[in-house]
Amino acid sequence: MANGTWKIARNRGGAQLPIALLAALAVALILIGKAQNTLFDRARASVTDWAAPALQVVRAPLVGLDRWMGSIGDIFTVYQENLRLKAENARLRQWRNAAVVLDDRVKRYQLLLHAVPDPSLSSVMARVIGRSNEPFLQTMILDAGKAQGIKPGQAVIDARGMIGRIFLTGNHTSWVILLTDLNSRIPVNIEPGNAQAIMAGDNTRAPSLDLLSQNVTLKPGAQVVSSGDGGLLPPGLAIGTVVADPAGGYRVVLLADSTSSEDVNVVDFKLKTEQPPAASPNDLPATAAGLPPAAPPPAAPTVAPIVMPPTVKPAPVPTAPFTATPPAAQNGAPADNGNE
Amino acid sequence: MERTGSIMGGRVLSSLVPVSLGILGALIANFPVSVLGGLVPPPLLVFMPLYFWAMVRPDLMTPFWVFTLGILQDLLSGGPPGVWAASFLGAYFLIDRQRDMLAGLSGIGAIAGFAVSALAACFTAYVIVALYYWHVPPLAPMLVQLAMTVLFYIPAVFALGIIHRRLVGPYRSDF
Repeated sequence: MANGTWKIARNRGGAQLPIALLAALAVALILIGKAQNTLFDRARASVTDWAAPALQVVRAPLVGLDRWMGSIGDIFTVYQENLRLKAENARLRQWRNAAVVLDDRVKRYQLLLHAVPDPSLSSVMARVIGRSNEPFLQTMILDAGKAQGIKPGQAVIDARGMIGRIFLTGNHTSWVILLTDLNSRIPVNIEPGNAQAIMAGDNTRAPSLDLLSQNVTLKPGAQVVSSGDGGLLPPGLAIGTVVADPAGGYRVVLLADSTSSEDVNVVDFKLKTEQPPAASPNDLPATAAGLPPAAPPPAAPTVAPIVMPPTVKPAPVPTAPFTATPPAAQNGAPADNGNE
Repeated sequence: MERTGSIMGGRVLSSLVPVSLGILGALIANFPVSVLGGLVPPPLLVFMPLYFWAMVRPDLMTPFWVFTLGILQDLLSGGPPGVWAASFLGAYFLIDRQRDMLAGLSGIGAIAGFAVSALAACFTAYVIVALYYWHVPPLAPMLVQLAMTVLFYIPAVFALGIIHRRLVGPYRSDF
């Protein structure tokens, strides 16, 4: 420890680059990284792909050790924990019954209203093989990448709720930016009240809420779900509950615990491209300018609806989803009753 | 003749020890597996050999190697490129200017000297990240990382001292 005993070398060699030049290079790298980070990200993904087998091997005994150490503390609270879980299970059963009834009712209403069905969600299950808790970055590494269909931007959830988003993919690994990370920004809905907000991570355990409307007052315990705005994330993903921030504003206590998640799902959200409505005669530029409409081409039956007078309504044509629905389901009865 | 070749080979190997330990420190600290469950940020292990040999053997820890170790730290930590490279160079500049004073410290003073240098590196990184994201990050994680780094330096400096005496020190015949 005693540095006073060290002899200091004065010769630093003649080949070294000046500090100023290297500092300028570092600043240039920062600026290039800000503008275009592809090269660095590609290198990072390659390193992770290369190190993935080692990560899996090293992680296994550490996870076992972690579980073993965690279970030591659980021994003293197992009785109280069992009672608490029984009570919670009873409450959840009641909620499950209510949810099944409400889900069925919502489906019937959607059918009656000819509502657009929810977009289909598929997911890829992946295992967490690494976590990085840096002062300026909170990430997680998964053992699934491009080969498994993972793409940047996809949501990562566990059994409890959303954890983060994919931000970098290698061939067999991917990096997740956690909701608590400094760079995480998620559009969310707060229920009840349908308040819109942006949930922003700041490297603390509870991200903050930036409300889009200033005159909204939230109640602690309100549910936070993804809003789906922007089409990047599916709407309705459970995220957390609202708590008041002692420093002012609101924060979100996340349902998922990224420090203990082992298996996660990467949600592939395929939002259907919304088709623009067909042009009516009034929308045509010639009609809007007061000019007579152009005569339709003779052999173009597809343009017939455009020249159709607005007062004439086409006969309703049943579409495939409605004809495919069994009548029993439309009456609210289970579909398998039809077999009896 | 053989003896001369052996000495030259040994000299080359010994000159690689500081950088190799820096690379090893970057790999260990950024290995995304934590015994503590990720509750605290990992210490800046790469900064320990960097500081030690920048102070006692700056001919082996040149600005180029400092820059390279910073880039490696950037690459492995997942952060934006250039942040730790610039921060380490900033700290190196401080060490370079205050080498006589830092090398003359002993005991708690030596740890304090390291802590000041690490603080310079962390604070530079903090400012760069704040400018990069245009958002002031929380100070606490950085301070925790700094505390972890200083805490780990206490046993590490003994190991670095032994390595310096056994592997690097004997070849210091030119000064």
